[in-house]
Amino acid sequence: MTTLGQQLLRRKPTTPPAANEAHLKRSIGLFSLTMIGVGGTLGTGIFTVLSSSVPIAGPAIVISFIIGGIVAGLTALCYAEMAGAVPVSGSTYSYAYATLGEAPAMGVGACLLLEYGVSTAAVAVGWSQYVNQLLLNLFGWQIPTALSQSPEEGGVINIPAIIVIVLCGLLLIRGASESTTVNSIMVVVKIGVILFFCAVAVTGWNADHFADFAPHGIQGIVGGAGIIFFSFVGLDAVSTAGEEAKNPKRNLPLAIIIALLIIITIYVITCVTAIGAQAPAKFDGQEAGLSAILQNILHSSWPGTVVAIGAIISIFSVTLVCLYGQTRILFAMSRDGMIPAIFERVNPRTMTPVQGTVIVMVVTGILAAFVPLNFLYEMTSIGTLVAFLVVSVGVIILRVREPDLERGFKLPFGWLIPILSIVGCLLVISQLRLITIAVFVIWTAVFLVFYFFYGRKRSVLQTGHVVDAGIDVPYTSNVRQLEDER
Amino acid sequence: MTVLVGVSPGRRSAAVVQLGELLARSLGMDLVIAAVTPRSWPPSARPVDTEWLEYADASANVVLDHAAAMLAGDVKATFVVHGASSARRGILELVEKHDARLIVLGSSTAGQIGRVSVGSEADGLLHASPVPVAIAPRGYRVGKGARVTRITAAYSGSESSADLVIAAAGIAAAGGGALRLASFAVLPPAPMTAGVGANAEDQIRDEWARRMREDAAALLHEVAELPHTPASTDAVVGTGESWSAAMDDVEWAANDVLVVGSSSLGPLARVFVGSHAAKVVRHSPVPVVVVPRGRAEVLAARAEAG
Repeated sequence: MTTLGQQLLRRKPTTPPAANEAHLKRSIGLFSLTMIGVGGTLGTGIFTVLSSSVPIAGPAIVISFIIGGIVAGLTALCYAEMAGAVPVSGSTYSYAYATLGEAPAMGVGACLLLEYGVSTAAVAVGWSQYVNQLLLNLFGWQIPTALSQSPEEGGVINIPAIIVIVLCGLLLIRGASESTTVNSIMVVVKIGVILFFCAVAVTGWNADHFADFAPHGIQGIVGGAGIIFFSFVGLDAVSTAGEEAKNPKRNLPLAIIIALLIIITIYVITCVTAIGAQAPAKFDGQEAGLSAILQNILHSSWPGTVVAIGAIISIFSVTLVCLYGQTRILFAMSRDGMIPAIFERVNPRTMTPVQGTVIVMVVTGILAAFVPLNFLYEMTSIGTLVAFLVVSVGVIILRVREPDLERGFKLPFGWLIPILSIVGCLLVISQLRLITIAVFVIWTAVFLVFYFFYGRKRSVLQTGHVVDAGIDVPYTSNVRQLEDER
Repeated sequence: MTVLVGVSPGRRSAAVVQLGELLARSLGMDLVIAAVTPRSWPPSARPVDTEWLEYADASANVVLDHAAAMLAGDVKATFVVHGASSARRGILELVEKHDARLIVLGSSTAGQIGRVSVGSEADGLLHASPVPVAIAPRGYRVGKGARVTRITAAYSGSESSADLVIAAAGIAAAGGGALRLASFAVLPPAPMTAGVGANAEDQIRDEWARRMREDAAALLHEVAELPHTPASTDAVVGTGESWSAAMDDVEWAANDVLVVGSSSLGPLARVFVGSHAAKVVRHSPVPVVVVPRGRAEVLAARAEAG
């Protein structure tokens, strides 16, 4: 019998990477890799996040974006080392399971439900704002507040947000997927819309809006970073695509840095022009922010309509991808025996996990319908930050435990980058609202208790029912050993 | 009982004749090779019409002569020129007249060499035929005296597809051939921006393949209890990022025939090809036989009765 400690820290054995030769083609070049980073990140937050973050930080929100970007970049680099060291494919959950053990992996799983599930709800709420704006501009009518707002914001239920989640869910059930080509097109749409916004907004420039640059000081800046961190979610996609990258040692870090620079530049330009066009005091509670700003300065509705259409298209694709990621993470957890098997049922005709998708659709739909946007942002931010924190800690643990491991990519400057990344994550987390941190701790605790009574006993590592690994896979070590290479 | 081969007047095709002979030989049936020529409407004896009809008959006979030369000669064959208002109607009339159990057609010339390509006439017959329709890939050739060595039944996991497997087992047993169950899945590449890895779909594919293999094993167990069993049975799963990749994922032998069931949505007695089945047909590297659902049920019942 294994002891409790062994159970909680047992690691999932990794299958040899050569198991599937179809995926050994290294086909993604630096450009596509960068596009994956930009496409995965851009569009999650920038369309809506200003209205909740500018009131906290003031015009200094620009600095918040830079801080958020640096923290995201550091963690993404740690992510890249982790992804290159562990021959498993998948999300942070898979990496944590292979390196840190089962209980930490479940903790990460709890974070990922926030990073994906809650962010699906958050982007869906943002989508509903732009849909309403578009309806108003085109038909002079919009969905009544009662049916387009969460209860805390004066409504009853947010119907458009439910609609977008259901649409995306149905597409996923049918087996739709966003290809690399579609992603590149979406990147062009997103950048195009944002640049259009900047070009128009700059015509309403008023430097006086920057007079009181940081009304709430450093605390306001870091607090703002906590909210806007949400808009950097997705940068880690570069690392998970790393296994298909050409020359990953060079291209992976380069792609992360280039993508990050592009994103930070776009965000900073957007913030600067937005604040230049509209006094910071007016941001509070503004809906469909980028559209509304243009309409206020131009007194004409067409630029707002253009931005709204662009936002609707790009947020839709983000919702689809988030929802997709969530179903696949749950699928992986279910295959490991951590959560009920309903999440791993594949419909033989559509070849998609239909039941799992429906459950995710319902839960995220409820969140989007009834929970205020601010809270959704913060929950996503904290979930992502903690998941990133775990990865950074994992990099250090892995270096101590397996120093000779063959890594696809190793961070320079020793432990500096992982430690900076940990400090950065902790700093941003410390400035989130107490309620957010409390809800997060409770949620993770509930998830771990569930694991203790459910997953711990049903784990595939416990029951020995290995679904896809070969018979001879060792259970003791889970990472490629140098002996195996020879 | 005959196998009806439809050749197109004016275009010689060795593929369809050779497939027809292979199937007739394997099924122990006679061969009827028919060219359907157009009739003028309204019927008239104006010189221009007569000339045209004479020309059509002559070119039909050229094709039939060519077909006769292509035959190995060990199967009794009848050659027919049949006039009808449309090729599809003509073929259906001939099915009744000659008690045909199978229609054999060629691929359209628009297709790729070595693949099945459904032309307009074949497409029409796929939607209207009461008997199975076989389609030869472009450029299909058969060795002299060859028989069908293996029937590959496309299996989707549905009830009607199980009937098809039993029916195929009965035919394979009668002809002394092997039976293989094949399931095909197309999985798009995972969206990279989701951050769940490039291989996120692999686990879905593995789970799907596992279920398919389980279902197929259960079905093969049923097949093993039939009064007459095929020479050997096997089940394979082919996956890929496109239909042709999925179909190339499994191994194909010479003299393989792929049997596909019609959609369970269509009318009972007619062939109505479902969206997945249609794709399997269009990307097949071996001859395809599309079996109407009602026909599959009859054949399955016969196989079970022995």
